Amino acid sequence: MRNQEIRTQRERHGRQAVAVLPIHYPKELLTALDLLAVELWGPPGPPRGDDAGRVQSYVCSVVRNALAFLAGGHADSVDGVLFPHTCDSIQQLATLATDLGGWTKPAFTFLHPRGADRPSARRFVEAELRRLAGTLEAFSGHALTEERLAAALALHREVDAARGALLDARARLPLDDTQLYALLRRGEWRWPADHLVELEAALATLAPEPVQRGVPVLVTGYVPEPAALLATLNGAGGYVAADDYAAVGRRVVRATPTPAADPWRALVDRYFAAPPCPTRGADTGVRMAHLAALAERSGARGVLVHVLKFCEPELFDVPAVKQAFASRGLPVLVLEGELEGALSGQAVTRLEAFGELLQGAPGAA
Amino acid sequence: MLRRARYELAGRAAFPILTALEAWQHRLKRSRKQPGGGPFGPPLESVRRLKELMAHHYFQGRYADGAVPVAWVTSGFPVEVLRALGFHTVYPENHAALCGVQRLTPEYSDVAEAAGYSRDLCSYVRTDLGSVLSSKTPVGRLPRPQLLACCTNICQTVLYWYRELSRHLGVPLVLVDTPFVHGTASAHQLAYVKEQLEELCLVAGRVSGKPLDAERLVEVTRTAREGSRLWGECLAASRARPAPWTGIDGFFHIAPIVALRGTEACNGYYRLLRDELEDRVARGVGGLKEEKHRLLWDNLPVWFAVRRFSTLLAERGFNFVSTSYTDAWAEAGVGIDPDDPIGSAARTYTHVILNQDLPNRLDILRRLSRDYAVDGAILHSDRSCKPYSIGQVDLRERLAAELGIRVLLLEADHNDPRSWAAEPGENRLAAFMEGFE
Ligand code: SF4
Ligand code: SF4
Repeated sequence: MRNQEIRTQRERHGRQAVAVLPIHYPKELLTALDLLAVELWGPPGPPRGDDAGRVQSYVCSVVRNALAFLAGGHADSVDGVLFPHTCDSIQQLATLATDLGGWTKPAFTFLHPRGADRPSARRFVEAELRRLAGTLEAFSGHALTEERLAAALALHREVDAARGALLDARARLPLDDTQLYALLRRGEWRWPADHLVELEAALATLAPEPVQRGVPVLVTGYVPEPAALLATLNGAGGYVAADDYAAVGRRVVRATPTPAADPWRALVDRYFAAPPCPTRGADTGVRMAHLAALAERSGARGVLVHVLKFCEPELFDVPAVKQAFASRGLPVLVLEGELEGALSGQAVTRLEAFGELLQGAPGAA
Repeated sequence: MLRRARYELAGRAAFPILTALEAWQHRLKRSRKQPGGGPFGPPLESVRRLKELMAHHYFQGRYADGAVPVAWVTSGFPVEVLRALGFHTVYPENHAALCGVQRLTPEYSDVAEAAGYSRDLCSYVRTDLGSVLSSKTPVGRLPRPQLLACCTNICQTVLYWYRELSRHLGVPLVLVDTPFVHGTASAHQLAYVKEQLEELCLVAGRVSGKPLDAERLVEVTRTAREGSRLWGECLAASRARPAPWTGIDGFFHIAPIVALRGTEACNGYYRLLRDELEDRVARGVGGLKEEKHRLLWDNLPVWFAVRRFSTLLAERGFNFVSTSYTDAWAEAGVGIDPDDPIGSAARTYTHVILNQDLPNRLDILRRLSRDYAVDGAILHSDRSCKPYSIGQVDLRERLAAELGIRVLLLEADHNDPRSWAAEPGENRLAAFMEGFE
């Protein structure tokens, strides 16, 4: 499907495609320059090619799989690749693949400031956005006018508003979790305007009253892979009522202060308005308050923490998440995976037991 | 006042009594052993002074909180500002390494794991968090910090680690974030780091209760640069054949440049060490009795097994004459400039080895290999340190092909013996050494 989209965008609109490594990046810039972003979350399953062996087995499967995928020529349908400096591992992958072999087409980087929103970080982000924009302009052959940027910002605001509305009205959405995430994750590679159309179509199906009958669960973690996890959760009697996946909810910018007239300022504001994410060094207290608010709003009765093995940014927050919800009396299940193609038997058993526990919990639906 | 007096006294009076006692115990122990055995050359005289210096630092630290401002600091932090403000600094990495040498990591890590921290996190972190959560330490007591000071130039892990320390200890965290460098840092990267250093001066000044004295900062910067230069001279002594000490000695002697950078005590110590090493070079005294092969080491030491490794290697005439780890502290520090303490610190601390791309790393390994005339290299693939380890598979191949040397990728962990498969690991080491014969 991704390759089909890349072909279609190229043939119909003359758009080039850029593969993008997780997690956060200024997609607005790519859209403004008519570049199709195609995200590369691994991809899941066993690594495709021997180059995975160039990264030690104690590194997360996202990085190992991505190197194998890029070096094995599986991403040759795209024209460039963007490495956001998400963590130590992607940072190293960016230099490994481009400097020591694995990727020969154009490569771009986006460097995040870490920690709190502060004036120095804002100035750095704006300069970094302008630097990236400059290299993407040269690559795409388009000039980034303020009008183009403003239009892209408006489009992405709409996309986020629709994604946020779907997640907020989750209980009234007549989709199971597998269908919901298939829809939301198409945004990782579809042209944003086309994705918006399908989001709006889904919004039109919202029922006036809740249709979800399972136990509401807050999910926080990295990426909903393997997708079978969702069906298992539903089968166990739960459903995702609130999402804090890095790949999904953590990238929906909900805070909407009046957008600045200057599109560069508006872009910087959007960057800092995103939900707290450990990969950007968010303050733990702020993040726990955010998760607690998500749980409260959605009426979640349990918390599923779904992390990837060896993923330090996520793993560091696990004790704080457990502690935050223990004090609220919400059960927490921590599942650790490796981007495997199928859900392990052990994970299935634990999810089922978790479902039973939640259904037995007071107030469970 | 009283606490300050006790802090000063701990250094000046009580401490020498304790070190004298330790030296006496050491002599007693040594006299019971057979002298002259083993593959190593005569021990360095300076070691005793090193022990005193570091024991003094930790001993005085017990009385630091309440007497002087205290900061816990990452190893790559631009410490000159804190030093100029009179902070007593504690390096959790250094403390964790100390625990690693004493094989305390499994015990402390168990505490951290019981609190929910994954065993896949850096073992320095698990050691430190376990130590904090259990209040156990082999140094008696660590002073409670008033400030946590973290710089991301060695890894992002330190930020996550220090956020957790901040959460557990309820202490503010000051961050100097250094974006990763591909090639050379851009103007906006350096401007960002410089601006944060200026923020640091204000925050640390507030915590210490006095503003930063610009002249004092110049003085400390000069001292820190001199310390790095002296440390570089100590390392450079190993260009001689035989090398006057072993790379393993270097791992231990790094402590002052990490923990006491910017102090006269650090520089005084390295002058002493440099003079001793140069004297050994002049007299042809080696770190090994017989140096047959010269090796380069990349990445952190395997703290819990350094003696074992060095003995296995030394028994067959192998010496680490250079390590990228110890070299990093000599390289980076000389770039700071007393004429521009903040601007030069921004540039220098952004360009440390772990904050730069792999071609830069390859250049460093190539240069060290040539300068120290090594005939082999061991790249420690460190389960706990991803930023230092990712890329080593390619680095191994390139070093071997370009320089025609044997290169071993050895998987271990810098602090956690549970991640080290001793028998197969030592067999690989033995097979590597056999390849030279
Ligand atoms: S360590 Fe975590 S954030 Fe980094 S690439 Fe791997 S999964 Fe993603
Ligand atoms: S050992 Fe590596 S991961 Fe751990 S703190 Fe040091 S640089 Fe960071």
